[in-house]
Amino acid sequence: MKKAAAIAALALAATATALPALAQQMKPEDQIHLRQSTMALIGYNFGTLAAMAQEKRPYDKAEAERAAAILPPLAALPGRFFGEGTDEGGHTKAKPEIWKNMDDFKKKLEAMQHQVAMLPQAAGDLATLKKQVGATGKACKSCHDDYKAK
Amino acid sequence: MTASESRIRVWDLPTRLFHWVLAALVVFSFTTGKIGGDWMAWHLRSGYAVLALLGFRIAWGFVGSETARFTRFLRGPRAALAYARQTLAGRHPFIAGHNPLGGWMIVAMLAALAFQTGTGLFADDQIATQGPLAVKVSNDTVTRMSSLHSIGEWVVVALAALHVIAIAVYRAAWNLRLAGPMLHGRAPAPPGTSEPARRPAWLALLLLAASAIAVYVLVEIVPMR
Repeated sequence: MKKAAAIAALALAATATALPALAQQMKPEDQIHLRQSTMALIGYNFGTLAAMAQEKRPYDKAEAERAAAILPPLAALPGRFFGEGTDEGGHTKAKPEIWKNMDDFKKKLEAMQHQVAMLPQAAGDLATLKKQVGATGKACKSCHDDYKAK
Repeated sequence: MTASESRIRVWDLPTRLFHWVLAALVVFSFTTGKIGGDWMAWHLRSGYAVLALLGFRIAWGFVGSETARFTRFLRGPRAALAYARQTLAGRHPFIAGHNPLGGWMIVAMLAALAFQTGTGLFADDQIATQGPLAVKVSNDTVTRMSSLHSIGEWVVVALAALHVIAIAVYRAAWNLRLAGPMLHGRAPAPPGTSEPARRPAWLALLLLAASAIAVYVLVEIVPMR
């Protein structure tokens, strides 16, 4: 049983590292399309939570939990689609600095994913949701400020 | 201040309060915009307050106290140049209120802040914050307004820096104190200078209230319609 779990974990780790490599082989315009699409979905779901946190719409526990649950897997995606040659085209707002500071960019992506990962447990209560939406928004911003054209 | 000089009241209370509250709000807006997250709610509120103050100041520039009026301190480029030349030569004619160069600083700052709050109403930070009127216009317009808003930020910072540097230079080079009078209202003047006329504070309060109501309608009622 332990062995099976270890193999499963290894396999998972292998796909986790292999998939971005596969994504890198995609056409640059497909990568740009995918990162923009995943960002749009993140924007929709995070926007739902933000609207509740800012009391622009009434807090709805079920809807908050749905949006919060889908965000961590979504947040894992855009980072895969910043391969070579994707700094231009498709009305991209990605700044060339991304490819010059890839380590820092990845660190900021991870910081964002770290905050997003805490959204599901925070979504069950408006007070904790407010706090976590604020912290997550800051993580989004720190990356946008440096790497997204205005 | 020499013995032959006396102090007269050059700035009325409404103008002074306007100035310091505005200065604080500009710093607060800049800071909250930089921090982001939860503070964005306060960034928006601060912007609404700036907008209300701008409305008041423009009205006060027409019907307010003498030294606050545009017709009094807005002079042509020739007057501004002549003043600059005199100042650099170390001659300082007494002027109650804004000098011909400072007058243009006021207009530039008011215009920059109007631009900044105006674009902010339609901006979207693509994270969790939208200006109240962003829903009323196309996304192309929102994008344009957002990028103008991030450029305007630095225009305001540059003007504020210029303003502070100018005050420091007046103080260091010519021992002229400009910040004090904006605090307590009085400035040393040649004997016999008559005090500029002041309008009552209740009028200022009325104008501010009217401006605040207009801003409320703009950011709370208009988006719902």
